[in-house]
Amino acid sequence: MASLEIRNVVKRFGAVEVLKNINIDIQDGEFLVLVGPSGCGKSTLLNIVAGLESMTEGQIIIDEKAVNDVHPKDRDIAMVFQSYALYPNMTVRGNITFGMRVRKIPADQIESALNRVADLLQITPLLDRKPGQLSGGQRQRVAMGRALVRDPKIFLFDEPLSNLDAKLRVEMRTEIKKLHHRLGSTIVYVTHDQIEAMTLATRIAVMKDGVVQQFDTPQAIYDQPANTFVAGFMGSPAMNLISATLVDENGALHVETNSNKGETLKLKLHHPQQSLRGHVGENLIIGLRPEAFGDQELASGDNPAVRHFTCLVDVTEPTGPDTLTMFNIAGIEVTARMHSGSDMRPGIQGRFSVDMARAVFFDADSGNRI
Amino acid sequence: MTEARFSLEGTRKPGITAGRWVLFFILGIFVLYFLTPLYVMIVTSLKTLDDIRVGSMMSPPSEVTFAPWIKAWNGACVGVQCEGLNGYFWNSVKIAVPAVLISTLLGAVNGYVLTKWRFRGSEVVFALMLFGCFIPFQVVLMPMAQTLGFLGLAGTIPGLVLVHVVYGIGFTTLFFRNYYITIPDELIKAATIDGAGFLTIFWSIMLPLSIPIIVVTVIWQFTQIWNDFLFGVSFSAGGGQPITVALNNIVNSSTGVKEYNLDMASAIIAGLPTLLVYVFAGRYFIRGLTAGSVKG
Repeated sequence: MASLEIRNVVKRFGAVEVLKNINIDIQDGEFLVLVGPSGCGKSTLLNIVAGLESMTEGQIIIDEKAVNDVHPKDRDIAMVFQSYALYPNMTVRGNITFGMRVRKIPADQIESALNRVADLLQITPLLDRKPGQLSGGQRQRVAMGRALVRDPKIFLFDEPLSNLDAKLRVEMRTEIKKLHHRLGSTIVYVTHDQIEAMTLATRIAVMKDGVVQQFDTPQAIYDQPANTFVAGFMGSPAMNLISATLVDENGALHVETNSNKGETLKLKLHHPQQSLRGHVGENLIIGLRPEAFGDQELASGDNPAVRHFTCLVDVTEPTGPDTLTMFNIAGIEVTARMHSGSDMRPGIQGRFSVDMARAVFFDADSGNRI
Repeated sequence: MTEARFSLEGTRKPGITAGRWVLFFILGIFVLYFLTPLYVMIVTSLKTLDDIRVGSMMSPPSEVTFAPWIKAWNGACVGVQCEGLNGYFWNSVKIAVPAVLISTLLGAVNGYVLTKWRFRGSEVVFALMLFGCFIPFQVVLMPMAQTLGFLGLAGTIPGLVLVHVVYGIGFTTLFFRNYYITIPDELIKAATIDGAGFLTIFWSIMLPLSIPIIVVTVIWQFTQIWNDFLFGVSFSAGGGQPITVALNNIVNSSTGVKEYNLDMASAIIAGLPTLLVYVFAGRYFIRGLTAGSVKG
């Protein structure tokens, strides 16, 4: 177990810069998730940490030692791959112990390490099978076993769950989380699935086009996204990004926008942050999570930040626990997460409430949070 | 009759329709057409010379004799020496076996490097090797002769081994390169992190996965090298000639009576090894040719 520092890392393929000055720093025992759309450079970054790819500039520091010139096998890391990369010609036992056999570790130590991991992952009955005879979930466990058996300083996971079906993925997600709690190891985990990122991470680095957009705890990323990209990428359904004008009425700040029928919709802010004062009269983007909305009929009514409005409901999508309700504000389809008891139906004038304390504001031009 | 397990009940009409009989008939004709030469060879090789003179080509021997076979093996005249094919058969073995093994191993290493340890210009190297597959034998005769002379290997069995290895590397590299490109790179990355180096990965991971393509390459190379005549006749001398050259010398010797039974027996002996390789490894050959389509 160890700390990890990624310092000013730049990676170029010819003239193309795929990683632009990446700086990430995590403590011993943290679970870092690198998340972003495909092509954002997250897997490249993981490979650089592993030493499987070289970087153009910068430093990788594991346990306060720069490892730029250290071969992957000597970095004391273990990696789980998206395709699992199990050796098809070896049994599960052979797969898990391969690394130790290559390193010429005494047989009795190999055996005890193997048994420890097999117990931990409950794969003891599978030890003499070949990977071809295993199901996807079992292969996944074996791949984890191969990483765990080494007891490395840092675990690297490259989209380990993306080949599993939806149900198994959720199960394995929980298992990985449990494992992290139990072992307290430092983990770097790459995924494009924002739910995996939210559930697993102690800290998330959201990446896009080779740039870290935001590096923070899951809750901070969810509640205070650094820009409109992070706001739209994290959370499902995504944060609603509505363009609006900030107006000052007798010292109280309001946002003004249009509902679908061209009517003006004006919502008063609740204890607005001081920095907003400088933007009065400007166009900006207001970000509201679907769960910031509610049904007036069901609202308890004692939250001073709640405002009310009515709007034509376009579509409803009942998911069971809640009903997603879509309506149109300022030409944008807004999704609201209603309690399943809500009576929202397509075609009616829905009476909505919105918690303005949960609103975040973005600059309309740069997309950065104000 | 394994296909019965896969056909759904009721999807096939009971009995065989007229169309099917026509199909079988046509196929039967083709079978006869392709088997006839082999039949004639075998039958003729078992006849006495008198029998050949009086009987028709297709008729079975009136009296079966193995004398032509025995003579072909150790009594037939190759040029002026009358010791049969025996020695030349073993020459071919001494040429083919090392040449097949060396060229296959080199092809495997090349394929491994060209797919998993790419370097600047590795694509160019591969293109050049591929180019080597398309160079006609005749073009390389002169430079090859000079090279062998320079190395002091002219007219020797090691010289022929070298020729076949050099000429075969293009093909074996192509086979292995195309097979290894289907093996995921992540496997190599995983092994690298596990601490395995270049050779360990090759021996413990790549080679065990390569059985199908090794079989394909061995069959291909063995057939090419065993059946080669041009290199054999150009770069060997006297007692060091391969069996194909010896066969030619037996069949084309123009003294005395033409011994068809001896010619046929000699031809079968010369062709038997490649035939046997196909019989025993043929199914792996088919499997290996299609192996790339299945993910490892």
